[in-house]
Amino acid sequence: MWKKLRKQAGGYLFVLPAVIFMLLLIGYPLLYNIILSFQNVDLSNLAGGNREFVGFDNYRTVAEEDVFGISIKNTLIYTVGSVFFQVIIGFCLASFFSMKFKLAGFLRGIMMISWLIPMTVTALLFKFMMGSEEGILNQMLMTFHFIEDPIGWLSSPDIALWSVIIANIWIGIPFNMLLLSTGLSSLPQDVYESASLDGANWWQKLVHITLPLLKPVIMVVLMLGFIYTFKVFDVVYVMTGGGPINSTEVLSTLAFRYSFSDFDFSLGAAVANVLFIILFVISLIYLRMIKKDEAI
Amino acid sequence: MSHRKSWILSIVGIVIVALFLFPVYWMVITAFKAQTEIFQTPPTLFPQNFQIDSFIAVMQGDVGQYFLNSVIIAGLATLVVLLLAVPSAYGLARFKIKGVSSMMLIFLVTQMLPATVVLTPLFIVFNNLGLLNTYVAPVLATATLGVPFSVLLLRTFFMGIPKELEEAANIDGCSRLRAFLQVIIPISLPSVLVCGAISFFFAWGDLIFSITFNRDQELWPLTAGIFNAVGRYGIEWNNLMAFATISVLPVIIIFVLLQKHLVEGLVSGSVK
Repeated sequence: MWKKLRKQAGGYLFVLPAVIFMLLLIGYPLLYNIILSFQNVDLSNLAGGNREFVGFDNYRTVAEEDVFGISIKNTLIYTVGSVFFQVIIGFCLASFFSMKFKLAGFLRGIMMISWLIPMTVTALLFKFMMGSEEGILNQMLMTFHFIEDPIGWLSSPDIALWSVIIANIWIGIPFNMLLLSTGLSSLPQDVYESASLDGANWWQKLVHITLPLLKPVIMVVLMLGFIYTFKVFDVVYVMTGGGPINSTEVLSTLAFRYSFSDFDFSLGAAVANVLFIILFVISLIYLRMIKKDEAI
Repeated sequence: MSHRKSWILSIVGIVIVALFLFPVYWMVITAFKAQTEIFQTPPTLFPQNFQIDSFIAVMQGDVGQYFLNSVIIAGLATLVVLLLAVPSAYGLARFKIKGVSSMMLIFLVTQMLPATVVLTPLFIVFNNLGLLNTYVAPVLATATLGVPFSVLLLRTFFMGIPKELEEAANIDGCSRLRAFLQVIIPISLPSVLVCGAISFFFAWGDLIFSITFNRDQELWPLTAGIFNAVGRYGIEWNNLMAFATISVLPVIIIFVLLQKHLVEGLVSGSVK
């Protein structure tokens, strides 16, 4: 009995420091954020003092601003657009590199570099390449006569969101490719062999074998992509700062702007909570999914 | 697969990777161009006038200090992550204690939360504790990115180690802690290294925590420095790209050294 208790205590000593660390630095701030969003906190009462409880006023104020609806729409377009292309391109590349040729593993690994570069640097790099005068993208498109006049990748409100999405797709491709490659390599080979014997062509194998078998992995990749893209801050913040005229404003940049440009911390907290609630629901769905499918 | 086909596929693969990594090439090569050449039409794919003036110009600025700050912040954050995550992952893998699944859930969920949500509350808490404008604030905040990732990755790894190893050590008179330190840690060093490297990358790439918690430029990491430099250097893209190249260099070096382990680790760590 005593020994068992001691053994348990030892286990907790190993486990708890990290749990407490995460609860203090993520759990507590999450709760605090909810409280903040119901108060009115700005620079004057930041360090304490009188914080009035204002109910849902902050949420109402936020909802009445046009930019809130715009940023929800932008966040959705940004996320769905990024994830869609990341998964499609990632799948094509994963299929290619899953053929067993000499350099396959090495080349696939090298591509991870784009995922490791700090997003601030990537964002700046794409900003450079998408410059309307000196940018290599316009220069190339014009050299090959795809376009006549330079495109305002980041200066035109109609295009800017897609320019940011392009940068984000580039960042995410290798990671999607890697996860899908792992999925592909775990598929049973004998199914393909018997399909070949039955005379199935490449397309039939893809539609009737690969995609159905890979469905659980694809679902996980989609969910993870959604979760990680929905909260992206750096790419948008560095490339456009939310502009021109709010055309790339997303929930995370909006929350940041309210808190740290306008110093209206409660409005920032309210927007951040909207972001949190959406992500939390998606995370719950994801957790249910991976619990059901322990194979992954 | 025939020798010939493997050869053709390798070449196609190289072309794909070269096209994909063109932006990285463009960053490095622009850093070696003279200012006038950048605005030249058609653009030059290799500098006609290869120069290192941009690197010199940037180094004479604050890059040294920023670099040092990045090393300090990312290094300390990595240390915090490993000190917390390694024992925790081991405990979750080995001890039959109550609440394992709920603790796992905490790590899984916190890994998915955006920095923006905790940013404002952390700012207020750090402000009240007097931690703004110190290294402590970004170190603690960026460590929260690496801890859950490392716990989830290492737990899977520790579960794969046969229990007999520690039992043998126990019979030899080793305590649980000593067995952990002297038997388990040495054989899991590669995985611990991968977790360390990935936590380092997370912290190295952080922008939002650093610019929010530290208004004092003396404490800025490279990411904050480069973000600020956009305004300062204006359209001197060669200087900016030199700055960018310098900030990417350590990441690339670590990646090249650990490539094989890193790629495997990334997959198992993120899916779990």
